[in-house]
Amino acid sequence: MKVTVETVELTTLVIPVGRLDFGASAEFQKHVETAISGAERAPAAVIIDCAALEYVSSAGLRVFLMAARTAKPAGVVFAVCALQPSVREVFDISGFSRLISVHTDRAIALAHAVRPA
Amino acid sequence: MTERRTSVSNDASQLSVLNDFLQEFWSAASLPPAQAMTFELALEEVFMNVVMHGSHPGTVSLVDVSLIFTAGGVTMTVEDTGPAFDPLTLPRPNIEAGIDDRPVGGLGVFLVRELMDAVTYQRIGTHNQLRMTKRIDR
Repeated sequence: MKVTVETVELTTLVIPVGRLDFGASAEFQKHVETAISGAERAPAAVIIDCAALEYVSSAGLRVFLMAARTAKPAGVVFAVCALQPSVREVFDISGFSRLISVHTDRAIALAHAVRPA
Repeated sequence: MTERRTSVSNDASQLSVLNDFLQEFWSAASLPPAQAMTFELALEEVFMNVVMHGSHPGTVSLVDVSLIFTAGGVTMTVEDTGPAFDPLTLPRPNIEAGIDDRPVGGLGVFLVRELMDAVTYQRIGTHNQLRMTKRIDR
């Protein structure tokens, strides 16, 4: 798996490409944690853009859960977007679609990415 | 009928070897790629459970995996020689729990049971055998 990170104003986009399995989860977790804690100041939002994410297992889901948990007390909006059908299925079955904000695409996710009052 | 068997050591590094094995079987059986995910996920979850919890500490043992496609669907069998353990006895995680109350573990076996049509466990001599079946149409 490859992970790229982009910044759009106060939002950090983390973009995993490929398969998020047990072997890839530690590196992905590092990227997500760095994005949430921020280099110099905390971002307003962290969005995981899953358009190129082909596969996720429970090891990958765990990273999403830990990220959502860390973001909340830090006042960072956390969301995912653009889930492929097979990834969406895993999110739905595990109940993660209700735990984490899921947007259909990046534009909608960015539109929701505002710092909570 | 298409059938494949393999054995790998109970080491996390073998996960990609098992995935390649599954992909080869899937294309040899001309199965729809979009439906491979169920078996990819089940293979990872079951294998990683064996790697993390299913072996005697500090020992290397083999995990046997077989895949069979028949008119009824695909059957995957995973066998290991660890201590007797029936993963189907694990409690169902509370998927309604809020973000701070959700346990971090326990999701893997739950996903396998939800995605497969049938999952059975048998202790055969010194082996744990987990068999998973799902109807797949070409």
